[in-house]
Amino acid sequence: MATDLIALNEPVLRWSARARNIPDIEKELSRIWAKQDLTTEIEGAPGRHVAARTSVMNLVVIARRPEIAERGAATIQALTGRHPSRTIVVQSADPDGPSWIDARIEAHCILPREDAPETCAETIHLIAGGEAGRHLSAIVTPLIIHDLPVTVWWPGEPPFASRAALDLFADADRLVVDASTWNGDGLARLKELSSMADETGIAVSDFAQVRQSRWREAIASIFDDPDYLPYLRSLRRIAVTYGTRDETGAPGSTNVVKAVYHVAWLASRLGLHVKTPLAVAPTPPSKAKGPTGRAKAPMSKGLVATLSDGRSEVAAVLRPQASDYSAGTTLRVELLCERRGSELRADVTAEAESVHVRLFQDGVDCLERHFLAARRGDVDLLAEAIESGGHDPVSVGTLDMAAQLVG
Amino acid sequence: MAATKAPVKAPVKEPAPLEAPADQPIPAQPAPRPKDAPRTMRELREARHGKRAPRSKAAENVLRQGLRLERVPDPSVLVLFGATGDLAHRKVIPAMYHLWRTNLLPHEFVLVAVGRRDYDDAAFRDEVHASLEQFSRILPLDEAAWRSFSKRIQYYRCDFSDPVGFDRMATRLDEIDEEEGTRGNRLLYLATQPSQFAEIVAQVGRVGLDHERHDGGWRRVVIEKPFGHDLDSAKRLNREVGKVFRESQVYRIDHYLGKETVRNLLVFRFGNGIFEPLWNRRYVDHVQITVAESIGIENRGAFYEETGAVRDVLQNHLLQLVSLVAMEPPATFEANALRDEKVKVLRAIGTHPEGRAHEVVRGQYGPGWVAATQVPGYRQEADVDPQSETETYVAAKLTIDDWRWSGVPFYVRTGKRLPKRSTEIAIQFRSVPHHLFRDTSADPDANLLAMRIQPDEGIMLRFGAKVPGLGLDVRSVTMDFTYGSAFNVDSPDAYETLILDALQGDASLFTRADEVEEAWGIVDPFIDAWAAAGPPDFPNYDAGTWGPEAADEMLAREGHKWRRI
Repeated sequence: MATDLIALNEPVLRWSARARNIPDIEKELSRIWAKQDLTTEIEGAPGRHVAARTSVMNLVVIARRPEIAERGAATIQALTGRHPSRTIVVQSADPDGPSWIDARIEAHCILPREDAPETCAETIHLIAGGEAGRHLSAIVTPLIIHDLPVTVWWPGEPPFASRAALDLFADADRLVVDASTWNGDGLARLKELSSMADETGIAVSDFAQVRQSRWREAIASIFDDPDYLPYLRSLRRIAVTYGTRDETGAPGSTNVVKAVYHVAWLASRLGLHVKTPLAVAPTPPSKAKGPTGRAKAPMSKGLVATLSDGRSEVAAVLRPQASDYSAGTTLRVELLCERRGSELRADVTAEAESVHVRLFQDGVDCLERHFLAARRGDVDLLAEAIESGGHDPVSVGTLDMAAQLVG
Repeated sequence: MAATKAPVKAPVKEPAPLEAPADQPIPAQPAPRPKDAPRTMRELREARHGKRAPRSKAAENVLRQGLRLERVPDPSVLVLFGATGDLAHRKVIPAMYHLWRTNLLPHEFVLVAVGRRDYDDAAFRDEVHASLEQFSRILPLDEAAWRSFSKRIQYYRCDFSDPVGFDRMATRLDEIDEEEGTRGNRLLYLATQPSQFAEIVAQVGRVGLDHERHDGGWRRVVIEKPFGHDLDSAKRLNREVGKVFRESQVYRIDHYLGKETVRNLLVFRFGNGIFEPLWNRRYVDHVQITVAESIGIENRGAFYEETGAVRDVLQNHLLQLVSLVAMEPPATFEANALRDEKVKVLRAIGTHPEGRAHEVVRGQYGPGWVAATQVPGYRQEADVDPQSETETYVAAKLTIDDWRWSGVPFYVRTGKRLPKRSTEIAIQFRSVPHHLFRDTSADPDANLLAMRIQPDEGIMLRFGAKVPGLGLDVRSVTMDFTYGSAFNVDSPDAYETLILDALQGDASLFTRADEVEEAWGIVDPFIDAWAAAGPPDFPNYDAGTWGPEAADEMLAREGHKWRRI
């Protein structure tokens, strides 16, 4: 066991043990905090900083692959100071062999300040093989700390309809996913997520939504101005341009969840309803020739939907554009509002460190703003996802509207 | 209050129903309602009486729901008087820079820095940049954010006694409204010497900078502590300010109220069901509130000679903490409801007639050692009278004569050059009525709840537990919640919270005129009694100790002792 001096806010491994069944894991967890020597040394003298165990939640990470488990564990370690948790990283292996469990129990500590005690949190890395790996809930439930909230972080593609997943969600308060990493356009699974959330009542945090907060702040800021606020209720068109690596941008080739969330957020906040769900927009044949002299496949016109505010229709367009950014990245959000013969057009774009807003009133460039807001990494996204307590009505409304848009 | 405060997310309202614009055809059913038509009985009654109905939901930016701020501050100009001073450079401007950096200020925002020194915009910006490199709570500076923020800073040279300077200032502010779209909204921030408050306010009133406009241009004034020197001067200043500004326009700042843990005190008391039933004379034996400083007067000898511990800390920070601990739950979390309850506490605090002089102890530090450093006594500090009678320490027993707290002493103390810096509120609960475990080696201590405000913000609950083993020994153990370990996040500085609140028009964390006067009414009798008494036996505590022995004796007489912090 390490007893090194530690740097401020740098997690250090203070305890590591192995176990092969649930009772042994529980025994090891008890032993960690009973050990007298779980202290740091200061210039050879032990005990100045007494390690204090802190847990504000249980965090269960379901990792189908070892590299996902490693990435998840690293993200959570970086959060030790901010959200000390009992973390259980569950990884399945060889589902067809005999049942077995192999667990590594670790305690990581950080020193929040020079004069403060260390803060420690436990991580259980658990690999379950055979039948045991199919009963996630039976593995996780005995290991959670009573009465603390349970968050399940499921990177990759969660099988929302499977028995194992539903059993696990039944014991959890929150599910964290990243819908922008799902295969294909991600829309079918998005609908499954919405249905599952409705049925189980679990709160859902989707990184794909959390990432959009900088866009939302920028778009909302347009209507902070009393001169432009009246236009908000006269929205007539929402166009979202997203990046694609597919040169035709064919529907289904690129994950469009983020683009759908932009439309869904605006629609849910403005109380719009879906008149016709997303459908493939007709694409005219291309006149351009490829290198072989044959007609080049045209860039898709993307997806279109029609919303309504009860009086007027609001067009929603999701448009692909060839880009070097990750597929599905939002490149531009355009809003068109028409009110009493006057037109307001907003053009919002983003870069790694900032978001830009340009506003045109009746064709005249009337506002240009530049927001410093960096893209966020997994650590910040996970922190924000687990900080939102209970059901965030904006997120719930957006997910529900997204499912309606999918149809 | 909480509804607009970052990063707390307020309950999100459902989207407002859409209003039919005037140019749309009118459907047969249902009949359209005019945009601001009264809906409820109250709105009907207020409409009858000519009062304006509440803003319709159509006038809200519904896209703000669920974002960091439910409402951003209006476009505005912050006019900072005393912009070249220490407070502005250490606290006010860094707070504004951080608000700007995190996109919490409106884009149409201008900081007009008013000072007497002969700077131009560029020279002042250079000075601010240098200060930020020293005092910003997040370093290194975000240079891109600084570049954009610095463009929002304009320096305006003005002697506060020069009426022409204020005339020109009013004209300049009107020009800024035109140029920058700040819409006539102005927050005047007085970070000057207190002696200049009345003069500035009068000049501001003379040139009409207090006049709120019908089209929505608001005017507010933030006044730094100390607000007055005693009750008379506080009343006089309130009168002077009241001649120009309505009370709802005045924001008297006590930065303690913007501290995270102080705000958490309200959440702790009124957001948890288990503590409030115990929060009364039946269960609480006494309360101790300590504001201890290890530093001395830090080259502020002249200021401190006229101030002393009572005026510097007891009259404001300590009494604010007492009122937050002792207040009744307000009916709503709205500024006046909150402040009404705080004022009730201050009114219920018994003043100290001469016969109770032993319930207040004053002290002054002599030479000593603090944090392994030898330090001079107060009378040896620069700009201090070698025979000074100014107190650097005060401890008092306060009683709150109301139903909840009758008979529960509130011991408060504050001092300079104490062994460590610490601010703490300790609720000492009564012992159990019958001791079942008398045979154990030591009686368990009574339960204690300690709320640490600085440093190491957190809450500690002490209770008895059985020592493992065959015997029945009981030992006190603690449950400790430390902000730093449960939420290792970047908390905003108190000034960021308070400036944002003032820009948003939320006065909950600011003190009202009657609060200030009530607080002076509590401490004035101490000061009067000391003035009438003979010269004190100063210095009466060594630097690096916990104050004069008389303070310990004050508690010992009642069977209590100060907590070891």
